[in-house]
Formats: sequence, structure tokens, C-alpha cells
Amino acid sequence: MGAALTEALVIRGLNKTFAKPAVSDLDLTVRAGELYALLGPNGAGKTTTLRMVAGLTQPDAGEIAIFGIDARKDPAAAKALLAWAPDEAMIYDKLTPLEYLEFVAGLWNIEPRAAKTKAEELLSTLGLASEARRRCEGFSRGMKQKVALAGALIHDPKLLILDEPLTGLDAAAARLVKDMLQARVDAGGTVILTTHILEVAERMADRIGIIAGGRLLAEGTLDELRSRAGEASGRTLEDVFLQLTAEAAA
Amino acid sequence: MSLPFKPASTPWLLAHEIRLAWRGAMAGRKSRGPGSIIAFAILGAFALAGGVFLALATKGHEIPIIPFAVIITDMALAVILTLMLSTTLAASADALYERGDLDLLFSSPLSPRRVLFVRALGLAVNAGLWFMLPAVLLLTPAIVMGHPNWAGVFVVLASAALAASGVGLLLAMALFALIGPRRTRTVAQVMAALIGAAFFLASQYRNLMGEKASESLFARIALDVRDGRIQPPPFADLPLRAAVGQPIPLLILLAIGLGVFLFAARVLGRRFADAAAATQGAETRKAAKGPTRDFAAGAFQATLRKELRLISRDAALLSQVLLRVLYMVPLAFVMVRGAAHLPAWTLAGPAAAVTFLAGQVAGSLIWITVSAEDTPDLLAISPTPMSVLRRAKLAAALIPVAGLLIVPIAALTWYAPLAGLWTALGAGLTAWTAGLIGVWHQKPGKRADFRRRRGGSFLAALAELVIAALIGGATALAVAGLLVWALIPLIVAGALVMALRRTDEQIAAALRAASR
Repeated sequence: MGAALTEALVIRGLNKTFAKPAVSDLDLTVRAGELYALLGPNGAGKTTTLRMVAGLTQPDAGEIAIFGIDARKDPAAAKALLAWAPDEAMIYDKLTPLEYLEFVAGLWNIEPRAAKTKAEELLSTLGLASEARRRCEGFSRGMKQKVALAGALIHDPKLLILDEPLTGLDAAAARLVKDMLQARVDAGGTVILTTHILEVAERMADRIGIIAGGRLLAEGTLDELRSRAGEASGRTLEDVFLQLTAEAAA
Repeated sequence: MSLPFKPASTPWLLAHEIRLAWRGAMAGRKSRGPGSIIAFAILGAFALAGGVFLALATKGHEIPIIPFAVIITDMALAVILTLMLSTTLAASADALYERGDLDLLFSSPLSPRRVLFVRALGLAVNAGLWFMLPAVLLLTPAIVMGHPNWAGVFVVLASAALAASGVGLLLAMALFALIGPRRTRTVAQVMAALIGAAFFLASQYRNLMGEKASESLFARIALDVRDGRIQPPPFADLPLRAAVGQPIPLLILLAIGLGVFLFAARVLGRRFADAAAATQGAETRKAAKGPTRDFAAGAFQATLRKELRLISRDAALLSQVLLRVLYMVPLAFVMVRGAAHLPAWTLAGPAAAVTFLAGQVAGSLIWITVSAEDTPDLLAISPTPMSVLRRAKLAAALIPVAGLLIVPIAALTWYAPLAGLWTALGAGLTAWTAGLIGVWHQKPGKRADFRRRRGGSFLAALAELVIAALIGGATALAVAGLLVWALIPLIVAGALVMALRRTDEQIAAALRAASR
């Protein structure tokens, strides 16, 4: 496929069918160092696409390259570069956040001393330092999300994929997470996120992709999407999104 | 499909519970494929054939109400009651903590008493079914062929289930009041295990106390009663009279069962709702103190450490392991005590049993570590090869087994080195094969489903049992000095293990098929 290293993720001709097509001939490119928001109505194929990128679901056809590495041919090398945080936190209730991060760091083979320092740093940044050695079973949904986010960041992934990262977070925690993601992008990291909160995409994303029925309807900056939808410059992303998805459904 | 009862009535709620339970059971069956249905059908046919044989053998004969029959019935009922109580106590504690639809029910206008009544009835049905089903198969032919009064057995079992359910609930709530929500679940699970094993341990009193090897206390009592050396206490004949259909004893037992059940349901009502609400977040532990440990190096060590932590923090798992350990204790006593002065062949039986139980414990642990993984997606997105993770999980399942066996086997080896060696090898081999089968035939399940263990292949579970029995047999023969003969069951077990073997690709394909 010959993807240049300026491209964090390149998807070509991706297809996946369950009972009906979930993703159809999807082409998508995410540049290194950008925050890309993937939007779409429920059942549009966002999560299926991201699960295929993360290696959790096998595509029926198509190519996926992560920083130039063919994720289907060399999944271990591709996985080493990415992190995936779904809307349901992947954590263990009977482990403490610190123990959880120890496990995740082990999975990514991070040097133990560096991992411990990084774990303490992350928990402190996320406001979980005082809970670091308490089991997660009594945590709120938002706290569990934060632990999972720390897990996603412990190995410093080049590509961070987040499915609905703000679900269950209170206003302060949501702000904290948004700031962390922005800081990550500012530092050269790449973030792909899905969200139903369009204001988040509007404010944070460098580029936005709108997907429906498993197909990419439109892609670009907010202004590009506005002009694509024939909307005036003052219109919100919500207007653009609703118009494009309504056109696709018609 | 709507339920044919007045909405919000007790029968309506009960029908709702039964519908959910039925659909849950059927979903499990479907996912296990036809193997389990065939196996259950075969077991059922055997039980029915046994029932026909029993009916023919007892045609024209009634069970005499004599002290020997009375004491046998009493002891059987005591065993059944302790096992039922063990089930209902554990389930009562779970009912408080596993939210399920409790929040919905308690937030509805339904009275908490009605909700508890139906839940408690569900506990009774669950506990009773395990005994009722085989009893129906075994006794129906006799009931049809001249012993209609034996249907009393079903009423006795139902009464026992009701009483066990009531006592289970009362005990769980008493624990809740005494030690609080944080500890109740664990203590109730451990207590359930102890109650479950109580009868067995009591029966092994003589072995444990060293009075005489390999003799059950209850066998002794039964023989003493038969020979007239002791007389059963007053009213001891009630269960037998009820079982053979005498109306007054039958009514008395039913009244006792129902009385205990209704008393528990009535007294607890609102308190159960309050206790269930109080469990929300109550299992949160205090933060650990002291210096933090260094992080594990690498995926194998990190996974091993994580699995051992999860095993040690799983109350349901610990209670099940404890139950099996309790069964092992008398055997270990017999072996170690007998090793010094008894001939080798007398150690063969206990050695086989210890070997078999080692496989059972390992099987439970491997199910928890491999199939009941809480976050399979996290493992799947990591760059660590699955083979490394599986090895770590296998090791995590085998380490506790080694820990449990090390003391009895070391003691045995001290007195009878060869018997100790063969038992260690046999136990290690069964644990290892149980672990491998658990890896090869894993089927993802939830930790909470542990007590029902095996959302996985029924035939694989059956094969695991057979293999453990074969290696147990080989160990027994080796301990008895019949080394050449020990090779036969060992070779059969090896062949079975090879037949069950799956490659990584086959495991992945089976998991993909299961997730569809």
C-alpha cells in the first residue's frame, strides 16, 4: 500500500458484513498528529471500523495500515503502536488502578520501573492518585473510564483510538480528558475518536469524517464539510451532520 | 408473549422469574450444542432404567418402618438438606449483591415482601430441582407400578427445599446484620462451602480423629441401629413415614418447610430491600497501605500476577476450592496416618481421590483464568502473543493446586516416599491435563457464572472427568505397586488428551464461532 509515515492510519476498501453490511468499501486516511473525529448515527459502522483497526474484528476485505505497518499481515507490530479505549471501560473490578496499569504495561512490555513512574503520573493527572490502591469495584463509571484511559496511555501509543470517551464523565472530568487529548495531539500524537456530542468534535477535531450505512459520506475540516453540505459559514456541525446523514438516508 | 396472570400479582411475578430462568437455561443449552442434550438424555435414560429396575424389584413390597430404614432415610435427608442449604445460602448472599433487576423491582410499586417471596421461591426451586429431577426419573416407574404412595418423596424434597431456602435467607441476613455488607458475601460463600462439606466431614470423624482408618461414622451408626445397639430418637421416623405417603407425617413436614419459608419471607421483606440497597458499593475495600510493589516485568509475569490476584479475591471461587479441599482433608489424613504402618495398597484409594480432586480444582481455576477473562478485548488488542497469555493463565491455575497439595504430599513422602512420589506425579498430571483441556476447549463466560461452571463444551468437561479418573486409577495402581497395570489407564488417558488437543488456530476459530 506504501503509506507514508505522515499517515497514521490508512484504510482502503474495508468491508465487513454481519447479518447485513456493517462497513462497505470504506476508504479513510488519518494524518499523523491530528485529532480525527468519526461521526455517524447509531449503527453507522463507526465502532465496527475501529474494532477492525484495533484487530478485534476481522475484516471481510480491505487493507488497514497503521504508520505504514499492514495491520492484517503484522498485527503485533501494528498493535504495539496503538491503544483502544471503548465506551465500556476494559478494567478488572477486583484490581486496583495501579495493579491494572501494571498488567497493561506488561502486555505492552514496558520496562517495569518506567511503567510504574508513568502509571503514578497518569493517575495523578487524572485525579485518581488517592484511589490508586483501592479496588475498582466501588468506582463510579466516570472513574472507571479514567482508569481505562490511563491504561490506554500507559504505553504512550502513537495512535490513540477512543470510542465515546466522554460517556459517563462529569463536566470536570470531561474537560480534563479533552485537555489531555489536546495536549497529546499538540505533542505530535494522533487521536481518533467517535462521539455523539457534536460540540466536542466541532471544537477539538482537526478533521471530521461522517459515516452512515458503513460508508464515508464526507470528510474534512468543519469548513470543508459546510461547503460540501452547501451550508452557510455560520451553521453548526450539527446542521451539517443532520443534513448529510438525512441525504444519505433518503 | 404476555403472561396469563394479573399484572403485579405474585403468580405474575413468579411466571416472569420462571420465564427468565427458562430462557437463561435454554440459551445455555443452545450455545453448548447437541452434545450436552445427548449426554443429559443418556443420563436420564440410565436413571429411568434404574427406576424401572427399582419398580420391578420392589413390586409387592412395602418399605418397613424399622429403625434401620428410619436412620438411613434420616441421614439421606440430612445430606440433602445440608447440600440444599449450602446452595441457598450462597444464592441468598448473591441475590443481595448481584443487582440484576432488583433495582427495577424495588423502585416499582410492588411490595418488597412480594419481591422477596418470589426470589425466595426461586431459590427453593433451584435448590429442589437438583434432587427432584433424578427423584422423578427414579421413582416414577415405581409410583406407576404399584407404589403411588412413594410420591410422598417429592413432597419431602419440596419441603426440604422450602426450609433450606428460608434458612439460607435468614442466615444471609443474619450475617449481613452481624458483619456488615462488605464481608457478608465472602463469609456466606465460605460458610456455604463448610455447610456443604459438613456432613461428609462429620461422617469422616473417625478417620480424622484417628480411631479407625477408612470407616464412616454414619456407616457405624447405621450398623449399630440395625443391630439394636442404639435406638433412633423420637420423631426420627417422620421423614420415612412422609416419604412413603403417610398423610400426617407428610403434612407435618410440609408445614415445617412452608412455615420456615414463609417466616423468612415475612420477617425479612423490607429488610431484604434495605440490605440489597446497602450493598451498593459496599464491597469497596480500603486502600492498601505500605510501599507499592515493583511492576512485573513482561507480559507473562504481569498476567500471572494479575490472575493470581483475581483468584485470591474471588469469594465464589475460593468457596468452591475450599469445598474441594475439605473433601481432600480426610483423605489426606488417612494417607498420612496410614503411610507409616499400613501396607501400600491401603493408600491406593486415597491417592486416587487426591489425584482426582487435584484435577477438579485445576479445572475450576483454569475456567476462571482462561474462559472467564473479564476483558478479552484488552488482551486481543495487545501485541502479546496469545500463547504467552495462555501459558501465564495455565501457570496461574496450577500454582494454587501445587500450594494446596504440597503439605499433604510432603507428609506422605516423609512416611512412604514411593507413594508420595506417585501421588505427586498423578496429581500434577491431572492438574496439568485439566488445565490444557480448559485452554483447548475454552468458551468465554462470566466470572459470575462460576458456580454453574462451564458455559463450555459438556463433552470436554465429561472427558476431563474421565481423564482425571483414569489418571487417578493409574496413580492408585502405582501406589499399590502394580506399575505395569498403571500404564493401561495412563495410555487411555493420554489417547483421550490427544483426541481433545486443539491448535492455536483451532482455538481461535472455535472462539470466533462461539462469539457469532
